[in-house]
Amino acid sequence: MPKHEAIDQASQNDNEDVWIQSACGMCYNQCGIRGHRVDGTLIKIEGNPDNPIGRGRLCARGLAGIQLLYDPHRIDYPLRRTNPEKGIGVDPKWERISWDDALDEITERLATIKENDPRGLYFSGTVICLAPLSHALATFLPAFGTPNSFVSDGHQCGNAEHILARTLHGSVTTNPDVEHCDYLLLFGCQAGLGTYYALTTMAQDVADARDRGMKLVVVDPFLSSAAEKADEWVPIKPGSDGALACAILNLLVNEYRIFDADYLLEHADGPYLLTEDGWYARDPGSNRPLVWDIDAGKPRPFDDPELGQVALEGAYQVEGQTCRTVFETLKGTVAKWTPEAASEVTTIPPDMIRKIARDFGEAACIERTIEIDGRELPHRPAAALYFKGAHGHDNAWPTSMAIELLNEVVGASNVPGGLLGTTPVCDGHPDTGFPRWKPGANEDGLLDAGMLLYNDPYGVVPGWPPPPTDTELPNLRDLIGWPITTCFTPAALTDKENFSFDHKPELLLNYGSNLLMSAARPEVTFEAFKDTFVVSFNLHSDETAEALSDIVLPDTSYMERLDPLPNFTRHHHPVGLGNWGHTIRQPLVEPLHERRHFTEVLLELGQRLGLTETMNLLTNNLYGLVAPHALDPERTYSWREISDQAYRSWFGDEHGLDWFETNGVMRWPKKVEEVFWKPFVHARAPLYNEWLKRAGEQVDEIVEKKGIKGVDTSGFFPLPDWRPCRAHRAREGYDMQAIYYRVPWHTFSMTYENPWLDEISRGEPYSYFICINTKTARAKNITDGDPIEVEGADGGTIRGRARLTEGVHPEVLAVANNGGHWAKGMPFARGKGVFFNQLLPMDLEHSDLVSLSMDCDARVRVTRMAEGA
Amino acid sequence: MRLGMVIDLKRCIGCYGCQIACKSENGTRPGTTYARVVKREWGEFPNVKKLSIPVLCMHCNDPPCVDVCPTGASQKRDEDGVVFIDREACVGCRACMMGCPYGARYFQDETRDYFEVGENAYEQAAYSAHERGVVEKCDFCRSRLAQGEEPACSANCMCKARIFGDLDDPDSEVRRLIDEHGGFQLNPELGTDPSVYYLPPER
Repeated sequence: MPKHEAIDQASQNDNEDVWIQSACGMCYNQCGIRGHRVDGTLIKIEGNPDNPIGRGRLCARGLAGIQLLYDPHRIDYPLRRTNPEKGIGVDPKWERISWDDALDEITERLATIKENDPRGLYFSGTVICLAPLSHALATFLPAFGTPNSFVSDGHQCGNAEHILARTLHGSVTTNPDVEHCDYLLLFGCQAGLGTYYALTTMAQDVADARDRGMKLVVVDPFLSSAAEKADEWVPIKPGSDGALACAILNLLVNEYRIFDADYLLEHADGPYLLTEDGWYARDPGSNRPLVWDIDAGKPRPFDDPELGQVALEGAYQVEGQTCRTVFETLKGTVAKWTPEAASEVTTIPPDMIRKIARDFGEAACIERTIEIDGRELPHRPAAALYFKGAHGHDNAWPTSMAIELLNEVVGASNVPGGLLGTTPVCDGHPDTGFPRWKPGANEDGLLDAGMLLYNDPYGVVPGWPPPPTDTELPNLRDLIGWPITTCFTPAALTDKENFSFDHKPELLLNYGSNLLMSAARPEVTFEAFKDTFVVSFNLHSDETAEALSDIVLPDTSYMERLDPLPNFTRHHHPVGLGNWGHTIRQPLVEPLHERRHFTEVLLELGQRLGLTETMNLLTNNLYGLVAPHALDPERTYSWREISDQAYRSWFGDEHGLDWFETNGVMRWPKKVEEVFWKPFVHARAPLYNEWLKRAGEQVDEIVEKKGIKGVDTSGFFPLPDWRPCRAHRAREGYDMQAIYYRVPWHTFSMTYENPWLDEISRGEPYSYFICINTKTARAKNITDGDPIEVEGADGGTIRGRARLTEGVHPEVLAVANNGGHWAKGMPFARGKGVFFNQLLPMDLEHSDLVSLSMDCDARVRVTRMAEGA
Repeated sequence: MRLGMVIDLKRCIGCYGCQIACKSENGTRPGTTYARVVKREWGEFPNVKKLSIPVLCMHCNDPPCVDVCPTGASQKRDEDGVVFIDREACVGCRACMMGCPYGARYFQDETRDYFEVGENAYEQAAYSAHERGVVEKCDFCRSRLAQGEEPACSANCMCKARIFGDLDDPDSEVRRLIDEHGGFQLNPELGTDPSVYYLPPER
């Protein structure tokens, strides 16, 4: 039977032999897959060559999905806790119940909560299941009336990056245009080299680019997959990436004077004048930000049609004040970051910092152009990119901003060769013009993202960050509403000193997340929800289920369910030229046993609770459904019907669900103006974050009024700077920093249950060990393979075996991902790898409040344990 | 025709995709990894290098495993040089495992299962193509070759670090890459003339 065969409706029959196109779900990237089913059994998953997301190639995780589908330890039936005691490591003594009994009880509890105070419903989810998570956040939860949602892996998310991806790139994420790039500088990131967005596609493109001669420089305390391939590995003290970036910025703008003046004048707020107090100087009449007109010798609004030559640098007298341009202020702010000063905190030699700055600046080839499809475009073949290694600290915001501005000052932003937002512009399918979105400019001339972003506690709205309003929500979305995700809820609920709420979590609905393990130290999460009725949709009876859950419902894996828009054609889509890929996720097998799709269960719960009308309207809003494909509020729809309407609405009646089930993916070519959109859209990237300065003052007012002491806005920098993270503070006797790194064959902690992926880790020298520098180990009398104990200065102890390596910074202990499961329901994963998160407290002190990121490293000491301890 | 593979150590990121692509194509039992990755580290901090080296059966032109096989189960195909094991003829003596200098062969013993509760539905289907008590190894995915497809590991490699082709064809990509980048065999001194070539990691 040929591949690409349509799904055989008589699927479970004998003599069946079909290939079905779908989307992976082993991480958040949602790559295109096809599954081979024979006589009702899935026997192979491989990449789908017809899908631009992965182009037929998969990572180890995606190929190993089949062992998740058929894992004998999956939850197959609804379960109810019979042990009244809850606790970490406590046996819940599950008993099997029927779906009817489970939903009856949940409905009854939810109806009571809705009547009393709907905010009593809390929701936690995981970004791995992007589409069902988004659907719940945008429809069921707002229809119910609760803003109390959080993403349990929220602080593992790129929160600071997402803010800057939005303000600078009109997107949620970024990736470099490696096809036209000659110099890629990665800070704690493995784009195309191990992890990160669009991995399977980027891996092909980065390998091609390196083959062609693109230089790769990787800043990382650990010799990671990416660092292994680097032309230059730059081992850095964890959490100091921002200082390095500030020093490079300083060299570029002050010493070497390598910057793209045209870009900064036209496409950024570089010429905007700042008052002495740090606000945009504004035209008294129009309130427009002012720039200095050199020809006229006076300030004028940035969009004044009469403008002559505009000043990028310098200080000018405006209304009796000395006003510097944004770019001049940036130059002054980073001036203190000499290579020598940065060297002291990063441990990188000053000469190497100079070399990186020089190489990066020269590689950017300011003023070079390139012709693509008959269009002449700026060509800036240098890009700087960062992820968790750099921003997984409580200085996430200034660090991320400093690295982003490396691209901005040389104009390598959303042009060929530079850093690109992930699909900020989509003109839609050529036949229908849908889906479509595009950034515009706000009244200050600044970039306003066009795609839907999740920044509203009640759902999904486009636009600028909402101002701080209050502190009624434990997820802090009312106080700090601009990060895309948050996992602060357990921290706020347990911080009685700083927070008090007029409602409490009556019921926690948990979708697919193992928040006890993934958020931070498990005791915090347990304490937050120990008195809450917890309902979990799970693949496994994991640590959270066993410690906290009252009812566990058997979720479908990504191989057993329908998601019409697994990545909404927005998130984690490959950047650069090529094709759009609008993909279906459909069952490769019918759900096994009594597993049910979370989204379908929410539709039923919505119906039972009388929410269908509101949910239908919100569904129309989420997918942009308009007549004749908008859902009728009065009608009840199945999930298949809703999916069908979404497809027809976007691609016409001939391309409904049937078409997608057969054809798998809708492709059409990307346009130059969509990919390299910056020269075509007049919207300035804000180098200066005036909005954040304002937000900081508003937050201060609110917390002062409420008497909250722990909320410190001193890190709300409008321009890049650096300050130490919590793990840098000297603590007597604690001489090292513990970090985690990511390996290409595991996703967070969930894949530790997969036997094929476990087989990799068992054959690989590092990932099930705690890596320590050879010389450091010897000085501590630790030899390779010794059992060691790592004790955190802020609490928490982890144990593992030492792996001596030259490939790690001498002051650092490196742990892969987050293993060490202990749940009875994940016996295969139990005890494999090291449970890193035990070292992480979750509180205000260890958080970057701009991005609601947590310090994901810890100050520690390490000791050798007695064998057998 | 002599089928062979080029493994580009510059492109490879050590993601282990090949190990799982092979496992999922061939449905091999626990501990059997026709394709796997070896990691090496050398130098002193901070001047240290790490390298991922994917390995598989070298499909030697002069395969010692074939020479030592007492039953003729281990064979090299005349038409394309693929070294394979005729399962029917294998008696599980394991002489070939001693003969192979590259550790590419796996004896299928009686004991191992991934999950302690036994085989799942996938494993029941996959393992029906295998037998206990015999030796198994990479055969360049003979069943895929028969359908005109390349081996699963090279077809999937997300860095395109594994390239499959005809070493005898002077116009083939494998031949071009070997010539252009100084492709080399592992342990050429053993004289087995492997059909798997490696391209240097730095060039």
